[in-house]
Amino acid sequence: MRIGRPGSQDRRPNGGPAIVCRAVRLGYERNVVVHDLDLSVKPGELVALLGPSGSGKTTLLSAVAGFVPVLAGEIEIDGRVVSDARRHVPPEARSVGFVFQSHALWPHLSALDTVAYPLRRQGHSRDDARARAAVILDRLGIGRLAARRPSELSGGEQQRVGLGRALARGARVLLFDEPTANLDAALRTTLQEEIAEQRQRTGAAALYATHDTAEALALADRVALLRDGRLVQIGSPTEVYDRPVDLWAARLTGPASLLEVSVGDVGDGRAAVAIAGQIAPGVAIEGSTEAGSSPQALIRPDWARLGGELTGRVESIAYRGTHTDYRVSTAAGIVGIREGGAPRVEPGATTGWCLERAWLVRAERA
Amino acid sequence: MAEVRGARVAATTLALAAAAAVIGLPVLRLAATAMEHGPTALVGALGGPLAARAVANSLWTAAAIAALAVAAGTAAALVTERVAGGGRRWLRAGMLVPLLIPPFVLALGWTRAFGPRGYLDQAVGVELPGLYGPLGIVLVVAVAAAPVAYLIVAAALASRVEPDLERAARMSGAGRLTVLRTVTLPLLRPALLGATVVAFIFGLNAFGVPAVLGAPAAFGTITTRLYQDLAFSASDAAFERATALATSLVVVAVVVVGAADALLGGRRAARTGLPAGGGGGQAGRLGVAILAVAIVVVTALPALALLATAVTRAVGLPPVPANWTLDNFGEALDVRTVGAIGRSLLLSSAAATIVLGLAALVLAGVRRGPGRLAGTAVTLGFAVPGSALAIAVLLAWGGVLRDTLAIILVAYVAKFWALGHRQLAGSVDALPADLVRAARASGARPLVVLRTITLPILRPSILAAWFLVVISGLHELTMSSLLYGPGTSTLAVAVINVQQLGDPTVTASLAVLLTALVALPALPLLWLGRARAIGSAGAAG
Repeated sequence: MRIGRPGSQDRRPNGGPAIVCRAVRLGYERNVVVHDLDLSVKPGELVALLGPSGSGKTTLLSAVAGFVPVLAGEIEIDGRVVSDARRHVPPEARSVGFVFQSHALWPHLSALDTVAYPLRRQGHSRDDARARAAVILDRLGIGRLAARRPSELSGGEQQRVGLGRALARGARVLLFDEPTANLDAALRTTLQEEIAEQRQRTGAAALYATHDTAEALALADRVALLRDGRLVQIGSPTEVYDRPVDLWAARLTGPASLLEVSVGDVGDGRAAVAIAGQIAPGVAIEGSTEAGSSPQALIRPDWARLGGELTGRVESIAYRGTHTDYRVSTAAGIVGIREGGAPRVEPGATTGWCLERAWLVRAERA
Repeated sequence: MAEVRGARVAATTLALAAAAAVIGLPVLRLAATAMEHGPTALVGALGGPLAARAVANSLWTAAAIAALAVAAGTAAALVTERVAGGGRRWLRAGMLVPLLIPPFVLALGWTRAFGPRGYLDQAVGVELPGLYGPLGIVLVVAVAAAPVAYLIVAAALASRVEPDLERAARMSGAGRLTVLRTVTLPLLRPALLGATVVAFIFGLNAFGVPAVLGAPAAFGTITTRLYQDLAFSASDAAFERATALATSLVVVAVVVVGAADALLGGRRAARTGLPAGGGGGQAGRLGVAILAVAIVVVTALPALALLATAVTRAVGLPPVPANWTLDNFGEALDVRTVGAIGRSLLLSSAAATIVLGLAALVLAGVRRGPGRLAGTAVTLGFAVPGSALAIAVLLAWGGVLRDTLAIILVAYVAKFWALGHRQLAGSVDALPADLVRAARASGARPLVVLRTITLPILRPSILAAWFLVVISGLHELTMSSLLYGPGTSTLAVAVINVQQLGDPTVTASLAVLLTALVALPALPLLWLGRARAIGSAGAAG
């Protein structure tokens, strides 16, 4: 097994997906955790599994890795069935690398020997495995920590070693189980960049479990929303952000306000929207626009701006450095508005605002 | 997967066979023998005045020992885990020192320090009244059992009772004592119950201490009565009484342990937050001082008294350098005792090695069904008091193995299997599953994972478990004294035999040798903070 090269998917004999889950059911007979899930990941693609805790992300990753068997359905890696109701290829015989939330570093091995471990299992001599591991550690910027044991490493360093170990196997498939969940915010961002960069180098397919929306949107080629072990929606980051299938999906994929509205005739994707008696003209409209329903308008904070024909009262302001979040109350409800820079109005002031786009959802999907 | 499953089933089958041979069969033989002449005969055998008094004495001393040991162990745990600052490490080690001294050696030390013609008597003319008799037995066995209770409570304080939970009560307005009453002790309840059971069994099991302190006062317990019936009498009636007494021991132990098990269930709590810090103010410093003094008085002084007796030319002389001699050791180390030392070391290390192999089989085997059965059998072997277990083993295996080292080995394995098992199972359970998964995801097959990950990480625990069983084996007196034959006595048996001949200086020298055999290798372990490992040794004595 060699470390994959970027674009290597084009040279693969069948060119098919790297991971396929067909009607995969996981858990126990009496407590099914993942229900008949279908998912496929193309070579070189990163699919984020986004969902709250208990949604089955980790269980799904464990099944792909071969830590748990499937109750029904089948899992294919690189065109080969590795799990179905009767067959179970053990983890060591699957081409997977796994990065654990708990880091899972072995207390008795140095960073170097930890990264060399998968190479040793592939039959490399001790010296050869260590030399290769040293290269990987260097690439991750922790070459100087090679001799340290896990107890002598910080959380971020530990997870870099864990990443190095997963990369060292040169696997076709990388699995990430909330790898940044135990790290602080600043470290999380750098490690995310590290993961993105390293994975792109290898060209491996990846499943990345997380409950952090920003992380999922930033890293993923596609985002899969998981709820109670079921796939709610899968699509590109902009798709799941701009066009959530329901309110639950909308709330999971980012901040959103809901306003009671009525919508005029849609022409060219735009319509006039009445909000508590005031009219916002020319709003870009998508979603369920069939007549007769009384829709709710889902509004991302970047879809509205301060200043305009609508009026509201500024309830509160949160300055976040790069931008400011305003909560503006209207007769139809509270709308969150995000604008770049420092606050422009005082809390309590009456302000004009305008709506640029809205995603309509039927009320009963709430 | 099928191969792995097959290996697991094979491991469990082997473990079950071993458990049946060393524990199941003997205990069943004991029960069958006791019931041979019907329940009336059993009750009749227990109804005799001597036997009835022995049962009553055993029960009330064990209860008193449990109460005293748990109170002392809990107080000590509160001091070391919640109050003590810098000296915590020393106090912890001090609390565990009695584990390194066989209880009957501790009793000998107490007689030399506080008994008639002891050093306290010589120095200021004061002796502890009632040292020979129930009071002395309860005190000394409680001192020996306190570390076990201490370990259980201290472990619970460290894992179950979150320091943050206590801090939350403090910031809700509760004072130190209120926190203790309303938060700490209620959370400790399972641990206190567990400690009480273990200390009660420890007291019920005690043989060496009642033999040393009870015999001169004609105070008999089940264990000493059993010993007399078996060692000094060949009559059928005596043997019948012995099996009846042994059965009563088994019943009491099983009832107590079973009831506690049912009450305890499997309750656990996870730990978060900061560890508790030192700094307990005035009251805390007082607690530390009291604990330190208590450790010195109940453990260090008796041990020193014994050592002084061993190196002094004759009893009654003051232990000053002018009177020092090593002749007592020379006298003690005759051919027979040297042989006994060799046999003790051989038996203990053989038992430790076998026990660890068996524990590994149980852990590698299936977890449900038959696996649980093996676990139950192992616990039974530990709960059954040594005297009863020895008679059970004698009944089951005496026909072929009587008067051989092998029969003592069978008894040791039956008794100490649980020690090795618990120690090993504890660290196996504490091993995060992700560490094994990470190795599998790195391409390692199960056996490679065992060799490269599991065993290296567990190595300290395996060593500690081995030492634990060796220490317990070296200390073992109860079963050895009933099972030894011509040329198969162990060192502990040799000490008690010399003691009964009544030569205090030679006895002291042998006792010092026996203790040194255990303590010298174990002391560094204590200092390294591996105390927890040696900890559960307790109930073995």
